[in-house]
Amino acid sequence: MATIQELKNELKKLNAEYAKIKDLSADQRADFGKQINQKKQQLNAEIAAAEAAAEQEDIVPLDISAPCDINGELPQFLTADFGSKHPLMTELDRVIAIYQSMGFDIAESVQLDDEYHMFDSLNFAKGHPARDGYDTFRTEEGFIPPAHTSTMQNRVLKANAHKLAEGKAIAVAVPGRVYRNEDVDATHEHTFYQCEGVYVSEDCTLGNMLGILREFFEKYYGQKLNIKTQPGYFPFTEPSLEFLIEKPASLGGKGDGWLEMLGCGMIHPNVLKAAGIDPTKYQGFAWGGGIDRLVMLRYGLTDVRNFESAKLDFLKEFAC
Amino acid sequence: MLVSLNWLKGGLETDNITDDELVKLIGARLVEVEGVIDQTGKYDKIYVVQVKHCEAIEGTHLHLCKIDDAGKATDVERDEDGYVQVMCGAPNVHEGMLAAWIAPGAIVPQTFNTDEPFKIGMRKMLGKYDSYGMMAGADELDFGDDHSGIVELDPKWAKPGRTLSETFGNLDDKILDIENKSLTHRPDTFGILGFRREVAGILGQKHTTEDWYFEPEQNFENDSDIKLEIKIDEQLCPRYTAIVFESVAENKTPYLDFDATMLARSGMRPVNPIVDATNMVMLAFGQPLHAFDYDKFIKVGGTKTPKIIVRAAKKGEKLELLDGAVVELIPDDIIITSNDVPVALAGAMGGASTAIDENTKRVILESATFSLYNLRKTQMAHGIFSEAITRFTKGQPAGQTKAVALRFADKISHYLKPLALFDTQTEAPAPIEVDLTLSQLNGLLGTDFSGQDVKRILENVEFQVTLDDDKIRVVVPFWRTDIHIAEDIIEEVGRLSGFDNIAPILPLHATADPNEMFGLKATIRNHLSARGANEVLTYSFVHGDLMQKVGQKPDNAYKIVNSISPDLQYIRQSIVPSLLDKSYSNLRAGHARFALFEMNQVYPRDLGVDSDNVPQGSYELGFLFADHTENSNYYIVKKYLESLLSSLNIPFEISVFESTSTNSYYEPKRSATIKTADGTILGYIGEVQRRILRDFKLPAGVAAFELKLATILKAEQGVNTKDFRISDYPSVSRDLTLTVSADTEYAKIESAIREILGDFIYSLRPTSIYQAEGSETKNLSFHLEFASPDKTLTKEEIQGIMKKLEAIK
Repeated sequence: MATIQELKNELKKLNAEYAKIKDLSADQRADFGKQINQKKQQLNAEIAAAEAAAEQEDIVPLDISAPCDINGELPQFLTADFGSKHPLMTELDRVIAIYQSMGFDIAESVQLDDEYHMFDSLNFAKGHPARDGYDTFRTEEGFIPPAHTSTMQNRVLKANAHKLAEGKAIAVAVPGRVYRNEDVDATHEHTFYQCEGVYVSEDCTLGNMLGILREFFEKYYGQKLNIKTQPGYFPFTEPSLEFLIEKPASLGGKGDGWLEMLGCGMIHPNVLKAAGIDPTKYQGFAWGGGIDRLVMLRYGLTDVRNFESAKLDFLKEFAC
Repeated sequence: MLVSLNWLKGGLETDNITDDELVKLIGARLVEVEGVIDQTGKYDKIYVVQVKHCEAIEGTHLHLCKIDDAGKATDVERDEDGYVQVMCGAPNVHEGMLAAWIAPGAIVPQTFNTDEPFKIGMRKMLGKYDSYGMMAGADELDFGDDHSGIVELDPKWAKPGRTLSETFGNLDDKILDIENKSLTHRPDTFGILGFRREVAGILGQKHTTEDWYFEPEQNFENDSDIKLEIKIDEQLCPRYTAIVFESVAENKTPYLDFDATMLARSGMRPVNPIVDATNMVMLAFGQPLHAFDYDKFIKVGGTKTPKIIVRAAKKGEKLELLDGAVVELIPDDIIITSNDVPVALAGAMGGASTAIDENTKRVILESATFSLYNLRKTQMAHGIFSEAITRFTKGQPAGQTKAVALRFADKISHYLKPLALFDTQTEAPAPIEVDLTLSQLNGLLGTDFSGQDVKRILENVEFQVTLDDDKIRVVVPFWRTDIHIAEDIIEEVGRLSGFDNIAPILPLHATADPNEMFGLKATIRNHLSARGANEVLTYSFVHGDLMQKVGQKPDNAYKIVNSISPDLQYIRQSIVPSLLDKSYSNLRAGHARFALFEMNQVYPRDLGVDSDNVPQGSYELGFLFADHTENSNYYIVKKYLESLLSSLNIPFEISVFESTSTNSYYEPKRSATIKTADGTILGYIGEVQRRILRDFKLPAGVAAFELKLATILKAEQGVNTKDFRISDYPSVSRDLTLTVSADTEYAKIESAIREILGDFIYSLRPTSIYQAEGSETKNLSFHLEFASPDKTLTKEEIQGIMKKLEAIK
C-alpha cells in the first residue's frame, strides 16, 4: 500500500498535469478536466483514509482501570463553587416537593408520544381546529413530541384506577418537557417545562380544585394569596378555567396585579371513560402550567433562551 | 377579534357599572380580553362643516374655502359671516358640501394613540393664506385607507356645527381586543348579538332575542320568474340559504356612513355599500355572507338560471380568488360551483369570475354554513385567515342563515331589491335537551345553588329550563352548538354566576408515594454540582449533521417533518453529542476547564416501542469534561463516575469497551463499558475520538461518561459496599510501591492488595503511577492504612503482611 507521502506526491503531480489544460482545444478541455478531477477526488479520499488509519495507529490504549495516567497527576474534582444545578430543575424539584407534601404522587411525562395520548384520549374531536392551537411537531411516523403534559392524563388515570376501587383518590403531579412549533425569541421557546396535576375521587369538586391550587401557590410563595379565575376552553375539561394568583410580595406585588398561572378544570367524562373510569361514579379535576415562567419570575430573568443554551456564563449565576 | 364596547352595550343595562368593571367581569366570566383600546377623545374638536365658498387657486391644486361650523370652534379667525378659512387640496371639495373638519387644537385621529400624535393648528399656505385646521379624508379620520379625497357627509342627517362623534352616535368608544382562542368553542359569541347575550347573563340580566331571529318573516313574495337550484352535500354544507336581488341603485355612496365608522372600529375596512352591509351583518350575528354577480354566475355555469352545487373540490381543480390569487384546490376544500364550475372557495373567499362590480345588475346572496373540519384544512392549506373563515371554523349554527339573510335584505334595501329566497332547510331540527340533577351540579362545583337559581341563570341567556324536584331539564338554544352533556350545563351555571364565588376547600386524601427516578436525579444533581460540575439542559432536537459528526446514524433517529430549522430535525439518540456541541462556545467564552452534565430522555429508534405502541425512551445522564489543554480527561471523568456510583451505593466494574448504535463517539482504545457485578451494562465512559473533537473545534482529551438511569435504579441497591467499621486497635500506616510490567492492568494489582488486606479494617489510596522513559516496567504507589478488628498487630505480623504485599506482581 502506498504511504501517505507517496499519495501526496501523486496528488502534486496530478495538479501539475492539470496545468496542461490550457494547451487543449475547447472541446477537449471538459473531458480532460473531468478526468483529472475524478482522479483527484479518489486520491484525496485515499489520503484521508490513510491519515485516519495512521491516526488510529497513533492512539495508545490507556489503562481503563487506573486512577491516573502514567506519570500523570491524580485527578482532582473541580472546586465546589464552580458547580451549579440548572435553575429549571431546581424549581421543578421544589414544585415536586410541594406536591408530594400535599399527597401527590409524581410521574414524569414522556417526551415522544402519539396522537392518541396527545389528543384523542383527551376528547379532542378528530380534525377539530382546537388541535391547531397546540402547534405540535410531528415525526415521519406521526408521533408527537408532546405539546402539553396533559398527554399523560390517560396513562396516569389508567395506572392509578385501582386506587379508586380501594376507596382512595387519584392524586398525581406530572412534570415534564414539552414542545411547541413556534419561533424562539426572548419570551418564547419551542422547548419548555410544564407540570400537570390530576385528581379523581368519588366526590371531589371544583371548590376542591381551587383549594388545592391556592394551597400549592401559598406554599410555593410562602404567603397567603388571593386567587381568581377566568373562563377557558380545553376539550378535556368541563368546566375549563384559567387560574390566576395575586402577584406575591416576593415578586414585588402590592396586592394589585394578577399572574396567570395555569389552565384547569373538571375532567371531561369522556377523558375518564377513555381511561376506563366510570364517570357516573367518579369525578375529577386537572390542571397544567409552565415551569419556565415560575423561574423567570423568581429570578427576574428576561430571556427564556438562556435555559437551553448551556452557557456557563448564565449557569454560573446559579452556582451552589 | 375587536369588539366595540358602544355597540356591545346597546340594549344592556349598564348604568350601574363602570366600563372597567364591565371589562373585568367579561374577562372573569366569558373570554380573555387581551387589551382595551380606549378611543375616548379620538374625535374631539372634529366638526361637521359646510363649505360655503370654494375657489380654486390658479397654478396649484389647492382651493381656498370658507366653511361654516356654526361658530363652534375656538381659536380661529372668522370673516364677517362667521366662516373660517381653510385650504383644501382634495379634488372633490366643492361648494355646499358637508365635510369633516379637524379644528385647530385637535389631534388627527389617524395618529391618535400612536407615539407621535399630530396636533392640527393654523398654517400659512402659499405664503399668504391662513388655513385653520383641515378638512379630512377617510384615512385621516381612521375610517379606511381612502386618500382620494375628503369625506362627504349626508345632508339628510349631518348638520354643520355638530361634532363628528355625535353625528355617528358616539365615537367615544372603547374597543375590546378579544383572544379568539378562548372562544374556539363558542361560534355564537363571534357576533355582537351572542356576545351581548353572554354579557347580559354575566350581569344577571335577562336577554331576549327578537322574534325575527327565531321565526324570520319574508316580507316579499318570491318572484315566480326567478328560478334557482341549490344542491348541497349536508356533510359539507348543512344549510344553504340564497336570496336573489336586483340592483336598484349604483353600489356606491358619496357619503361617509355609520357602517364605515363601525367597520373601522371592528378592525375592517369599508369597501362599498353591499360589501359593507355583508360585513356589518357578519359582525352583528357572526354569520358571514357572500355576494355573487348573478349574471356572471350563470354565464360561468352555462345555465339559464343559477344552479348552485356545493361539493368537495377535486384534485387538480384550480380557482382564481377575488384577490387575484389562483389556488390549486385540495379534496378537503369545499367549493361553490355554478353548474359544477368552481366559483368560490366556500367559507374562505369568493372567486374572481363572479365578483360583483359597478355593472352588477343582479346579485345572489349566500348565507350558509360549512363543515368546520374541512374549512380548517382549507385555512391551513391556502393560508387564508379572513374574518369570515375565522368565524366559520368555529362552526356557525345552521339555525340562523335565513334570518340573517333577510336581515341583510332589510339593511341593503336602498341598493338591492329582493326578488326571491331559496333555502335548503325545510324544517328546523329539534333542539337538544340535556338532563341533569341539582345534586350533580352542586356536587361537581362544590356549590349550594337552588333549582330556581339555576333556572334564572340559564334563562337569562335563553336556555329553557324545567325543574322537577332534583331533576333539571334544559332545552338548548340552537346557537349553542357546544352544549351536549350535563357538564356543559354545569359549566354555564358556574361561569355565569362566577367561579370566583365558589369557596376553595382542600380535600382529604392519602399520602404520596416517593418517585424513585426524581429522587435519583436529585441525588445525582446534588452530587455532581457539589463537585464543581454544571447541570445544563439542551434541546431534544438535533441536526442530522451533528449525528453524522459523532458517527450516529440519522436512520436510527425519529425525524421531525415540520421542524423549525434543520438544526432541530431529529430527536436525539444520546446526551453526550449535545454536550460536545455546547463545549466550544464555553471554552471560547473563557471557561478553561469545566464539567457539563444533563439528565434527560433520549429516543433512539432501536429502543423500539412500548406496550402503548409509543416510542420507548431512556432516561440518561450525560457527563462531559473539557479543558483547553490536550491532556486526557479520562481519569478525571472516571473519578466523577466512581464517586457518583459509590455514593449511590452501586457496585460496578470498568470493563472492555463495547460499541453500540449510539455510543459511536468514544475512542474504543481509550474507553470502557460500565457494568454491574452481574454484567448488566450501566453505561459507557471514555475519551471522545480525536477526529470528532476536531470537528467540534475541541482539543484532544475531552472525555465523557453516560449512564442509563433506569438501569441504575434497578441495579442492586441497599447492599452496603463500604466498610464503616472502626478498629479499637492502632492502625498501621504504610506506603507501598510495586514494580510491575508496563502492560499490567492497574485493577489487577489493586484487587490483589485488597485480597491481602481483606481481613483487616483498611483503606487504600493510589498515590502515583510512574514509568521511566523506555522502561518496560512501571511503579504503582499506594498509601495504605490497616488495623485488625480484634487486636493490636505485632511488628512481625505487619512485616508479614508487607512482605505479601510487596510480592504482588
